[in-house]
Amino acid sequence: MNLFARSIRELHQMLVDHEISSVELTESVLGQIDAVGRQTHAYLAVTRDLALRQARDADDRIREGARVRPLTGIPIAIKDVLCVEDVPTTAGSKILEGFVPPYSATVVERLAQEGAVFLGKTNCDEFAMGSSNENSGYRPVHNPWELDRVPGGSSGGSAAAVASGEAIAALGSDTGGSIRQPAALTGTVGMKPTYGRVSRYGLIAFASSLDQVGPITRDVADCAILLQAIAGADPRDSTSSPHPVPNYLDGLEAGVHGMRIGVPKEYFVKGMEPAVEQAVRAALEVYQRLGATIEEVSLPHSDVALPAYYIIAPAEASSNLARYDGARYGAQAGGGHNVIEEYELTRQQGFGAEVKRRIMLGTYALSSGYYDAFYLKAQKVRTLIIEDFKRAFEKVDALLGATSPTVAFAIGAKTQDPVAMYLNDIITIPANLGNVCGISVPCGLANGLPIGLQVIAPGFREDIALRVARAFESATDFNRARSPLMGVAA
Amino acid sequence: LPENEPELSSDEVRHVARLARLGITPEEVTRFRDQLRNILHAIEALNRADTSRVPATAHPLQERNVMRDDVRGPSLSVEAALRNAPSVEDGYFKVKAIQE
Repeated sequence: MNLFARSIRELHQMLVDHEISSVELTESVLGQIDAVGRQTHAYLAVTRDLALRQARDADDRIREGARVRPLTGIPIAIKDVLCVEDVPTTAGSKILEGFVPPYSATVVERLAQEGAVFLGKTNCDEFAMGSSNENSGYRPVHNPWELDRVPGGSSGGSAAAVASGEAIAALGSDTGGSIRQPAALTGTVGMKPTYGRVSRYGLIAFASSLDQVGPITRDVADCAILLQAIAGADPRDSTSSPHPVPNYLDGLEAGVHGMRIGVPKEYFVKGMEPAVEQAVRAALEVYQRLGATIEEVSLPHSDVALPAYYIIAPAEASSNLARYDGARYGAQAGGGHNVIEEYELTRQQGFGAEVKRRIMLGTYALSSGYYDAFYLKAQKVRTLIIEDFKRAFEKVDALLGATSPTVAFAIGAKTQDPVAMYLNDIITIPANLGNVCGISVPCGLANGLPIGLQVIAPGFREDIALRVARAFESATDFNRARSPLMGVAA
Repeated sequence: LPENEPELSSDEVRHVARLARLGITPEEVTRFRDQLRNILHAIEALNRADTSRVPATAHPLQERNVMRDDVRGPSLSVEAALRNAPSVEDGYFKVKAIQE
């Protein structure tokens, strides 16, 4: 098997056994980027020189046998919403074209300390706003399973890179499903940690009360390894949690025997594709066979999570994106007669249509006369969603459902209808609003396109989500399916 | 949410764009007006939830003050902070006048 197609765990063993070097491994992945990158457009920038320099450093560390960590020498892709010092960072937006961050995100620093290798910045929907990657200010990402399909979004570049062999693993960010949904649509594993589990310092803000950074990987153990490296309190992010970080590999293989698993009836939404529903129902049988008790539960406010999200997230975004004025960083229009005109021109030219829509929606929802009716109402609904999860988790250990109601759809199919596009996130959004964690794992193919199974666990119980996901992965062989672009099957 | 409110008007779209410091073409006013109307219709589903007895959640974490020791530490240099600015003078960001 090609090196670029292997898992972190396998490659780590090969590195410490001196079977391969990190330089060889990095060249293998860079070679795959050269071979298929023009088909997927997974990257906005490839940092070849930096990657090879870090790979040589990793090889030194491994040769000395000191400070060798699970990610030492492993090539990883970074979503372009995360700042990497001295590496151009755009968040997929023209308004940040040419921006070179003067510091790195905490998660990036932690990976660098582990000795990871940075392949480059992955394409994404502009400011992480989208579910298909078609809102990238540069070019859409194509799904490695079928190139005229979307990879999902907003972390579509990260997911496509992992699915095509253009990265061993990747970091994404998830505000309403932006890690889990593209993971589902590309046959990869993606986790949204609990809010506060991972530092947001250096993450370009979209909706500050919802954004979380998380891993996209080839299997659940790799997801645990990457989460381990990035989780934990950060003095530079006052919203990061002091909650202790367990060892996520301990207990990963403990199985689900005797566990109580809930199936929210509301998650079988209208418009769900039959193949997706069948795959989820079949997964429930697998869990039953493994000794878990399956019971139907109700999260009665699931139907209002989507509308609440489309008030809260745009409201926070409209405030966060006020900083893009062309005066301090990024593109500046020029030609305005005064500073206000200059702001308006810069933002008109720099932002794409979806970002403008959300800024206007958020500004409207926060404006005088509408604040109580929209924003305050949505925040109260958020409380109801948190309470729904609390009640469910009094009875069960984890929840199961689909990640996305559909498999990957055709590029261009939903771009004219924002409301139809928003429905892609209908089963992922509640976990963001409800302050719980979620993971998506492959659970089958429909006409050659991946289907994702979502496991949701209580806040700060990523260990449960990983364990439940791992039990399914090890009892089935869905995880072994590889995209045609990856080449040789596992 | 407000019931029986008149639909979002073009003037309101222009007003919101002005509040957001967003330049907008006449075609965009019409397009965004229609799209935002559709989105607002979809959002009206919020009315289905009875929120009369619940407080609002502004933030998922318990509100707590995060303090650090009042000790001076390293931070970005002026030079690094200004490196990305299109126009700089005497260690400041330079912008056009508010009025001509």
